[in-house]
Amino acid sequence: MNTRLGPRPILWATGCMALALLPHARNLPLWILVGVFGAASLRLGLALAGRDVPPPFVRWLFVALAACLLFLQFHTFNGITAGTAFLALTSGLKLLETRSTRDFSMLLFTIYFSCLAALLLSESLAMFGYAVGVCWVANATFLRLTRTQPGPDWRAGLGASARLLLQAAPLALVLWLFFPRFAAPLWQINDTGPAAVTGLGDSMSPGDITDLALSDDPAFRARFAGPSPPARLRYWRGPVLHEFDGRTWRRNAGAIEALPRFQPAGAAYRYTIELEPSAHAWVFALEWPSQPESADLMLTADSTLELRARAAQRTEFSLTSYPGARFVAPLGAAEIALDLRLPLSRNPRTRTLALQLRRAHPDDADLVRSVLDMLHTQAYYYTLTPPPLGGDAVDDFLFTTKSGFCGHYASAFAVLMRAAGLPAHVVTGYYGGTFNPYAGDWILRQSDAHAWTEIWIAGRGWIRVDPTSAIDPLRVDQRLLEAGANAAAGVDVNAHLPWLADLRLRVDALRELWRGRILHYNPEAQNALLRQLGIPAPDVEKLVLVLAGALAAALGWLTWQVRRDLAETPGDALTRAYARLCAGLAQLGLPRAAHEGAESYGDRVARMRPDLAAPVLALVSLYSRLRYGPTATALEIKAFRDAVRAFRPQVRPVRPPGSRVSS
Amino acid sequence: MARRFGVDVLPHKVHRRRIYILPSGSGLQCALLVVAMLAAGFNYGSNLALGFAFLVASVALVGMHHCHRNLLGLEFDAATTVDAFAGERALLECALGNESGVARWDLEVRCGDAQAIQTAAPLAGSATAGVPARARSTITVSLSTPLRGMHSLPHLELATRYPFGWFRAWTYVQAPLTIFVAPAPRGVRLDASPDARPGHAANAELTGDEDFAGLRAYAPGVSLKHMAWKVLARGREPSVRHYTAAGMQPQWLDWFRLEGLATEPRLSQLCRWVLDAAAAQRVYGLRLPQVEIAPDTGPGHRRACLRALATFGNGPGA
Repeated sequence: MNTRLGPRPILWATGCMALALLPHARNLPLWILVGVFGAASLRLGLALAGRDVPPPFVRWLFVALAACLLFLQFHTFNGITAGTAFLALTSGLKLLETRSTRDFSMLLFTIYFSCLAALLLSESLAMFGYAVGVCWVANATFLRLTRTQPGPDWRAGLGASARLLLQAAPLALVLWLFFPRFAAPLWQINDTGPAAVTGLGDSMSPGDITDLALSDDPAFRARFAGPSPPARLRYWRGPVLHEFDGRTWRRNAGAIEALPRFQPAGAAYRYTIELEPSAHAWVFALEWPSQPESADLMLTADSTLELRARAAQRTEFSLTSYPGARFVAPLGAAEIALDLRLPLSRNPRTRTLALQLRRAHPDDADLVRSVLDMLHTQAYYYTLTPPPLGGDAVDDFLFTTKSGFCGHYASAFAVLMRAAGLPAHVVTGYYGGTFNPYAGDWILRQSDAHAWTEIWIAGRGWIRVDPTSAIDPLRVDQRLLEAGANAAAGVDVNAHLPWLADLRLRVDALRELWRGRILHYNPEAQNALLRQLGIPAPDVEKLVLVLAGALAAALGWLTWQVRRDLAETPGDALTRAYARLCAGLAQLGLPRAAHEGAESYGDRVARMRPDLAAPVLALVSLYSRLRYGPTATALEIKAFRDAVRAFRPQVRPVRPPGSRVSS
Repeated sequence: MARRFGVDVLPHKVHRRRIYILPSGSGLQCALLVVAMLAAGFNYGSNLALGFAFLVASVALVGMHHCHRNLLGLEFDAATTVDAFAGERALLECALGNESGVARWDLEVRCGDAQAIQTAAPLAGSATAGVPARARSTITVSLSTPLRGMHSLPHLELATRYPFGWFRAWTYVQAPLTIFVAPAPRGVRLDASPDARPGHAANAELTGDEDFAGLRAYAPGVSLKHMAWKVLARGREPSVRHYTAAGMQPQWLDWFRLEGLATEPRLSQLCRWVLDAAAAQRVYGLRLPQVEIAPDTGPGHRRACLRALATFGNGPGA
C-alpha cells in the first residue's frame, strides 16, 4: 500500500526541512541542528545502502534522549523557541523513521509548523513570502510521492503545487478577512517577545546618543491631520531630565501625572503617533501636548506623555499639540529648586563662567544669546566621536576638548543656565524626521534622536533652546556625512544619493502598508471593512454571516475553476473559434448551411465576397488542417483563434457574382 | 447501490454525482494541525501566522476539489468476464481514458475493501496507475482466486488520494464482472503417460500421413501454417485447411474414465489435459456428467471447456 521511499525523495524531504528550519537557525542551539541533520544524513545513508529504517527501540532511544536534552536546555516545551526546538527535533526524528508516504505526511506537517513559528518570530513581508515559498516546494515534493510511480516530474509537481496555492489564495484571503479575532490571548505566553529594542533611556551620559545616531531603525511615525509643522517646530519631546550629578543627567524618580500647565493658544496640530515596540514608555509629542484622549496615556508635570503600561507591540495614539501655548501659572518653588540644583563640587570653571556671563548680561535673553554666540564663534566642533571626558565632564568639554554632539551641548548649556540662576533642564527626544510622500507620514528614526534644553523665563514660561544648532556648520564633522545622517546638525546624507533615499522611502511605505493593513488588522479594522461593504452596526454575528457568504462564494468559484480545467480541451477551443468565424460571416448575410463543410463554405463566401476571399480561404484551410490533419497543438489552435479574432470584415450588401459595385 | 444506479454500460464515464469523498486519517491529522496553527496564531495575536494557517487550510480544501476532480470524467472500461485458474491470480484488464487536458495521478482500481485486499481475501485486489492528459492507460488488477467456480463481483471501485492523501474520493462502477475460475491444472500430462490417455484414439499423432479433409472457417488463434492463403487471395472468407490424420478420431477428455478420483482432482486432471490438448492443437472434446462439449479446436473451444470445468456442479463442494 505504501511505497518505500528511495534516497532521492528523502534528499528532497531533507532539503525542504532545511528550508523550513533556516529562519530558526540563529535561535536554535547548535546541538539541535547537528542532531536534526545527523538524523537526516543517517537516514539518507541507510536509503543509499538500500537498508530499512533503524529498528523501533533505536528510534525510541533517540526520542527519549532528545526530550531529556530539550528539557535540560529550556525547562519547558512552551513558547516559540522551545517549541521550535522541539519541532525541529521531532521532524529530524520523524525523518529517521520515514519509510512511506504516510510518514512523509507527518514530516510535511512539521514543515508547515516550522514556517508558522518563523512567522511568529519575524513579521516581515519577506518572511511571509519565504514561508509560502517553502510551502510551495514542500507541497511539490509531497505531490511527487504519489503511489503510482513515476509520479509527476519536477516541473509538473511544482506547477501543480503553484496552482494549488494560487487557487487557495482567495479562499485564504476570505478566511483571513472575515474570521473573527479574539481580543485576548488564549493562554499565557512565557516569551519576552522580540528582543529589547534600542531607544532613548531615562538617563543621558555622554556617548549615549552616539549609539542611536548610527541606527537606522524607525522609532515612531507621525501622521498629521492637516499641514505638517515647519522644521523649527518638529522637536518631538521625550523624557525630561532634571537631575545632574556632574556627568549624567537623569529624570527624577517617578513621573507625576498633572493637568496641562498652559493655556492653548495659536495653531493646533492634530496628529497620530505610531510607536515601535520599545522597552520604555515614552510617547513623543510636539510642544505642548494637551490632555490625550486615550486612557492608556498620561500627561506628566513635564508636559510629556507616558504610557501607563509598556508597549510590547506597536501602538497608535491621536494627539493634539499647541506650539504657541502660553504658560500662565508661575513655576512652583520645588520645581525651581529641582531645576537649579547642581553638584557643588563639580565643574567649577563652568560655574565661574556662568557667573561672569550673568554679571555681564542681566537680561535672560541676552544671557542665552551670549552663550550661543560663544558656541558659534569659538572653535566648538560637532562630532560623533568626541574625546573622552574626565570627572568634571562639562569643564573638560567647554574648555578643553570643545567637541561633542547634541548631548554634550545640551548638558553644558543647561549647567551654564543653572549656574547663572535660570531654571533649566535637558530634554531628550527626536528632531525633524523624514516625510514619506508614498505613505504620507513622517518617519522618525533612531538616528534622529536629539537632546536640547528648556529654560524657564519668568513671564514667558518654558523656552526651548537648542545649543547644538548654534555650532558653525563648517565645524561639523565631515565623517558624519558618510556614517549616516544626523538631522540635528542639519546634515542630510540623502541629498547625495537621491534615488537611494527615494527607494528607501518606497520600501518604507510598503512596509508601513504591510504593518498598517496586514499586521494590525484587528476587530476594529474588520468592523470598518464591514461598514465599507454597507453593513450597518457590524458585530461578530454579522461577521460570521459575511464569512459564511464569502466562503460559499469562494468555494463556488473554486469549483468552477477546478472543473474548468477539466472541460477545456484544445478541440473545444478550436470548435469555438470556428463557430465564432461562422457567426461573424453570418452577420454579413452569409450563414453556413448545416450541410456545408468548411472548405465548401469558404469557397461560397469567397464567391459572394471576393474582397474577403483571401483571409476567409486562409482561415478555413487552416481550420481544416487543424481539425482533420495531425493532432493540433494548443499553440496552433491559439494562433487560429487569434486570427479569427483579428478578422473583422466590413458589413456590406452581399454582391451576387457578376454584378458590379457602383460607388 | 446497484439498485440505485442500475447497471453501468462499459465504457463508463465517471459522473460527479457518483463520486464520494471523505477525509482520510492523515486528513484528520491535517485538520488537527490547522487547529493548532490557528490556536498559535490567535494566541500570539499574529495576523501573519493566522494568514498562513488559513492558507494551509485552504490548500487542503483546494486539494479536496482536486481529489474529486481526479476521478471526474474518467472513462473506465474493463472486461466483463475473466478466466483464471484456482490458486493463481485472475488478471482483470482495465482501461482508463482521460479526454481532458489535466493529467490524473494516483488512480486505484480495487475489488473488495481495504481489509480484504490486505489479507488477500478471495477475489480482492487492487492496482494503481496514472493517466496523462488526453491519453489512455491500462491497469491490470490481480485478484486472488483460491476457489474454483463461477464468481461474480457486482461492482469495482475506482479511487484516488491525490494530491496529498488528505482526502479519499471513490466511485463504484456498477459493471458486474464474472470470473470463471477453472480448477488448478494437476495430474499427469497428456503425452507423458500413454496408459492414462483417455479415449480410444489417444495414441494418434499428427504425422506426415495426414489427409486433407476440407476447409473450415478461420478462427483466431489457429496456426498460420494452416491458413488457406489461395482461398483468401481469391477474395473469399479466410479459411483454414483442415487435416485429418489417418484413422485419427477426435480425442475425448472423459470424466468417466477417471474413476477412483475425487471430484476436484478429477477436474484438475481434466483441466491439465484440456491445456495440453489445446497446446498441441488437437481436436478434443470434453465429457462431464450432464455436460458434453463436442470435439473441436481453437481458443474459443478451450475457453468453453475450461468454463465448463469451472462451473461444474456450481463450484467445489456442490
